[in-house]
Amino acid sequence: MSEFQGIWVIAELTPDGSVAEGSQELLTPARRLGDKLNQPVTAVILSGNRDTSSAEALLGRLGANQILLVKDDRLAEVQGETYTAALSELLSAKKPNIVLLGASPAVSDFAPRAAIRANASFIANAVDLDLNADGQVEATRAIYAESLLSTVVPLNKPQMVSIKKKAFPKPVEDAGHTASVEIVSLNLANIRPRTRLVNVAQTESKGAKKLEEADIIVSGGRGLKEAANFKVVEELADALGAAVGASRAVVDAGWRPHSEQVGQTGKTVSPKVYFALGISGAIQHLVGMNTSQIVIAINRDENAPIFKIADFGIVGDALEIVPELTRTIKEQNLVLHV
Amino acid sequence: MKIVVFIKQVPDNTKLRFADGKPVTDGAPMMMNPFDEYALETALKLKEQAGSDSTVTVVSMGASNTKDIVKKAIAAGADDAFLLSDATLNEGDSTANAHALAAAVKTLISDFGILVFGQMALDDAEGQTGPKVAEILGLPCLTGGKNVQLNGQTLRFFRETDRGCEEHEMELPGVICMAKCDYELRSSNIQGVMKANKTEIPIKATADLGVSPALVGAAGSATKVTKTWQRPPKSGGRTVNGSDAKAAVSQLLEYLKEAKVL
Ligand SMILES: Cc1cc2nc3c(=O)[nH]c(=O)nc-3n(C[C@H](O)[C@H](O)[C@H](O)COP(=O)(O)OP(=O)(O)OC[C@H]3O[C@@H](n4cnc5c(N)ncnc54)[C@H](O)[C@@H]3O)c2cc1C
Ligand SMILES: Nc1ncnc2c1ncn2[C@@H]1O[C@H](COP(=O)(O)O)[C@@H](O)[C@H]1O
Repeated sequence: MSEFQGIWVIAELTPDGSVAEGSQELLTPARRLGDKLNQPVTAVILSGNRDTSSAEALLGRLGANQILLVKDDRLAEVQGETYTAALSELLSAKKPNIVLLGASPAVSDFAPRAAIRANASFIANAVDLDLNADGQVEATRAIYAESLLSTVVPLNKPQMVSIKKKAFPKPVEDAGHTASVEIVSLNLANIRPRTRLVNVAQTESKGAKKLEEADIIVSGGRGLKEAANFKVVEELADALGAAVGASRAVVDAGWRPHSEQVGQTGKTVSPKVYFALGISGAIQHLVGMNTSQIVIAINRDENAPIFKIADFGIVGDALEIVPELTRTIKEQNLVLHV
Repeated sequence: MKIVVFIKQVPDNTKLRFADGKPVTDGAPMMMNPFDEYALETALKLKEQAGSDSTVTVVSMGASNTKDIVKKAIAAGADDAFLLSDATLNEGDSTANAHALAAAVKTLISDFGILVFGQMALDDAEGQTGPKVAEILGLPCLTGGKNVQLNGQTLRFFRETDRGCEEHEMELPGVICMAKCDYELRSSNIQGVMKANKTEIPIKATADLGVSPALVGAAGSATKVTKTWQRPPKSGGRTVNGSDAKAAVSQLLEYLKEAKVL
């Protein structure tokens, strides 16, 4: 039997003490792999000194068998060198077989480093996960700007994989399921971090939902003519409970913050429904959204490339049609099934 | 201050064709990795902020035609460059590539202040090379940058996250990885192009880097790609004429009901 045992999920906590959506979703593949390999699922919480009881309970209800809890004020914020030390020390001491993380910008500050330090393999941004005949992880991930998919296998253990948001649904909670908690203390006193978070400036973004987590996205492009007209996008998004997205053209023009940009140099999203309003459909935009289940395009130019991938389209003026659509949805209380 | 920027040559994905689940790389038009253009512009800005006797050194690993993007970087304002080219460096994953690039920094470049990477290469899309080089060299690292500002030996680093725009401070020397920035790569002027044409670009082999061939290329990789395939292309559906907004909207809603979205 291999000395590497168990499936780990690195659980990211939210400011209010719950578990991030992306981390909750990790329990689905973790439990699937755990069942196949007959190995327990452990949720790892790296946290500052604060109350983590509700996160522990939630992780239990989502199916974790055990919780490894590390509380240390040095872990209150993700800091690359500190998190690298904490994770790699845990990996070397406990030797898990498989370690799942949510793909997020903070994770890339420390997970690749921890993999090097612990002599592990790390596959980033997977969209699917399975085991091959030898019980080794097989991750599916996109390459060549989302044009190709690839199967990648880790050659070392622990086998670390980060998973994109919404690649898996989160498991149904089992109210009666609890996880045992093991408290671990790590020796982080000798680390002198050389980076420091000094400020977080809230970006003013109308869409309350996070783009990568949204089931419906309404995106606007240069076809809306000017920044002020973006309100038709926001109003439709509001009516649908959707997140707001944007093409790079309007981000570069300063109409929208970069956090809303969809595409090759922005975010990759795959919502159930994606609206492209006044967006031409340049390849660099398409690679960020063409795994959406249903694409609805409104564009004045019937030859716009966006129509080549849109499931439904209206050829016409977005500034006339979008408000009409919003009005009808509100009047008839229409709700998209997503 | 010496600033080092790492740029990779990748196929131009607006022109790339695929066959049998693989890119047709033979004769495919190549370009500088888009995020590396941001990394390069960041390096050039840092050079200006760091003041006189600052330089930008370009490091690129790849086939000999990678010269083209290296020349482009020099034309834009970089001072010198190294091209790492050797059969044993091919087909490495981010672990192997980080060992090769870190070894190049150690053996070829002394006293650097900042190593600038792109966030992710368009082809292998790993997004791990910068942090791994930082780990091998024992340096601090921040990823996903959109802007920087240098004050003496302290770097301010800005990035966009779900909770807003984060501002970090980094002690140098250190590693930064740039995503889409608040600025674009400057265009090169005629002097730059002439300088690029004249500059000899030294080519370094694995033996010149003082790294064991077992740590680089396929041999040094911690992961292996076993299969690639093309995503089924999405095809277009039904379109409605929108000259009458009311009629177009009700037709669209009809379609959505049929598709059980409504
Ligand atoms: C390296 C690189 C990376 C890039 N990364 C990205 C990226 O991440 N994301 C991204 O989006 N782009 C990216 N781009 C840019 C991309 O190539 C396009 O330039 C951009 O997507 C165009 O944005 P747009 O569709 O809003 O504008 P345009 O291309 O100008 O299209 C506007 C559209 O609106 C239509 N229109 C005009 N008026 C109306 C009206 N009244 N009603 C309805 N429709 C109307 C027009 O017919 C047109 O199709 C990248 C480019 C490069 C080179
Ligand atoms: N062959 C290479 N030559 C130079 N830089 C590279 C190379 N491969 C990766 N990089 C750098 O590492 C970044 C991230 O690459 P990757 O981890 O492969 O997605 C790129 O944007 C480049 O800055």
